[in-house]
Amino acid sequence: MIEVLWHGRGGQGAFTAARLLGAAASLIDGRHALAFPSFGPERRGAPMRAFTKLADEPIGDRSAVARADYVVYLDDTLLGDEWADELKPGGLVLVNSVLAFHDPRILSIDADGMSAAVLGRPIPNTVFLGAISALCEHVRAEDVKEAIRQYMPPKLHAKNISLVDAARELVERLSCDGAFGSACSEADGAPHAGAADSERSESAAAESVDRTIDRFVALAGAPQPPRPDGCAIPTLRCDELQPEKYARSTCYEAGFLVAKNAGWRNVRPVVDRVACTGCLECYMHCPDGTIYKVDADFDDAVGASTGADATEVDGAKPKRRRPALVAVDYDFCKGCGVCAKVCRFEAIAMVSEREALASERTADAPTAVEGSAATAGIAFASNASEQAKGADAR
Amino acid sequence: MAVNARTIADDEFFFGHKACAGCGGSLAVRAALKVLGPNAVAALPAGCMSAVGFNFPQLSFANNAMITPFAATASVLTGIEVGLRAQGKKPDDCTVVGFAGDGGTADIGIQALSGAIDRNDDVLYICYDNEAYMNTGIQKSSLTPFGAKTTTTPVGANARGCLTQKKNLFEIVAAHGIPYAATASVGYLNDFIRKVERARDIEGTRYIHVIAPCPTGWGRAEDEMVDMAKDIVDCGLWYLAEYEGEQLSGQPGGRFHLSRNPKEFGSVEAYLRSQGRFKALTDEDIAVVEAARDAKWEVMQREWQG
Repeated sequence: MIEVLWHGRGGQGAFTAARLLGAAASLIDGRHALAFPSFGPERRGAPMRAFTKLADEPIGDRSAVARADYVVYLDDTLLGDEWADELKPGGLVLVNSVLAFHDPRILSIDADGMSAAVLGRPIPNTVFLGAISALCEHVRAEDVKEAIRQYMPPKLHAKNISLVDAARELVERLSCDGAFGSACSEADGAPHAGAADSERSESAAAESVDRTIDRFVALAGAPQPPRPDGCAIPTLRCDELQPEKYARSTCYEAGFLVAKNAGWRNVRPVVDRVACTGCLECYMHCPDGTIYKVDADFDDAVGASTGADATEVDGAKPKRRRPALVAVDYDFCKGCGVCAKVCRFEAIAMVSEREALASERTADAPTAVEGSAATAGIAFASNASEQAKGADAR
Repeated sequence: MAVNARTIADDEFFFGHKACAGCGGSLAVRAALKVLGPNAVAALPAGCMSAVGFNFPQLSFANNAMITPFAATASVLTGIEVGLRAQGKKPDDCTVVGFAGDGGTADIGIQALSGAIDRNDDVLYICYDNEAYMNTGIQKSSLTPFGAKTTTTPVGANARGCLTQKKNLFEIVAAHGIPYAATASVGYLNDFIRKVERARDIEGTRYIHVIAPCPTGWGRAEDEMVDMAKDIVDCGLWYLAEYEGEQLSGQPGGRFHLSRNPKEFGSVEAYLRSQGRFKALTDEDIAVVEAARDAKWEVMQREWQG
């Protein structure tokens, strides 16, 4: 049995892809397929999984796929450190990304770029149907195209079929180059063909557009001060969860959280405290309560409450230092962007998670960033990240 | 003390939930609970907010909260209130509050709500109106506006979206002679918060109807949720008003009052055209919607002022 595990975000079309693949593989008489999503209350933007199983006989095992022949990531921010655990021996990861992953078991395809060029919007799923049809002998290209004809509205047929062809071409070329798979002795560091195009267009765009976002990227690594003392709020305390206790009651403790929502987002809000006027519109309008007021005396350069608002900056004449007025709980922020939209002072911008995480890593090494809160060596942990330790182990 | 951005409690009673990014309903629940405080007891029927708030073991309410049968929000509120009082366990600052969606209020829960108002039970009922059954994947409710596309009012060669008008639930509730009722929108959050605070301090049944956009169901970017909630008020398709019953107003039959009475409206067309769900509306349809708005406002401005 061939098993395919799809990772996507709610609304990205992972289940549609899983279904189309199953439909394609079962068009031939005597072949069987099963496609289903993971069912949960999670909503748009939340990480979700879908599964396709392909076999020559009826499939009785209807449980979720734990280890797959092909694991597809429709969003590369979902590709975590444990990706190899979901792979069968000889299996392959396919990821929608412009990055090169330096591992022969990972095939990176810029499906967003390819689909945006053809469809006008990045809808990556059919690119991976094409890629799988090139890789897996169980799935024929003509059946994928037939499935598209049967399951998609007519006006989408031609473009999606051309995407399937483009994906097959790319995979066959990369396969000949030995860029992935067991035949590949060592992954080269160069971006692959699909990624190269989009990197070019990205750098072209960067030259023409004023990168005001850079100011926020530099700030993205700054740790956040804690929430106000004594604030009532549901908290992460999964370590305390005792099934036997809950098995005997229908009455549960309020505000008991076991999982963070941070995995939902691929962009995060970053607050520029120099531009922030403290109007608190972002705090008021956050649907998730992840923006909070911080102590006006809190000096985030030393990680403590100083009570002073005049500080030496760069050893030069004392400048009035504006207190940080709001902070973001990145453990629960879903990246909706409402805060940035309601900010009238351009003090909040949405920074891509990838850039933010890179900035977080550089913030660990003490380098002064002018006019930013990203000065490192800050000796406090966000309250939420302390509580979250157990959740990471989940 | 007036609750505003500076004075509102730091507490977050609805946090860590699984609502979509940019969810208007979760903002309404969060803001209301921040005003009502730690002793508020919440009841929620089937609907988005209960589906995203109670995922055992992820329990996202920091105050006492429970799920009710779909039709029974107001009855459960009654029971909680009476039960707490009978046991001598109701603190002075305890508000028993219900959060139900538009379907759970205007369709399925309307008789229970009507009964609670009839008995004048001491409860606060908040309807977060996202204009369809969003929890189950966008089906029409009686608060879905004319022309909106839902899965049960599709758009195509032979179908033109929702053919009925949005039920006027605020005035239906007011017609009971309820002590206090109000309309609000999360786009005018200070107004909503002021009304929750006002309702908190009134005895008897109180009802607040708050517009809470659903980016997924309305077909607009999630970061524009607040803009949608503002636009619907600015273009006049929703109104911010209060109804004070006889006791509060001192007038027989009570008194309606517009909290916001704009001199001129934003464009109805721009509001409708910005949302995917109204894509199929023709120019004639939009003219009809606009005429209905003008007729409604003419009455409101004549009767609800002063």
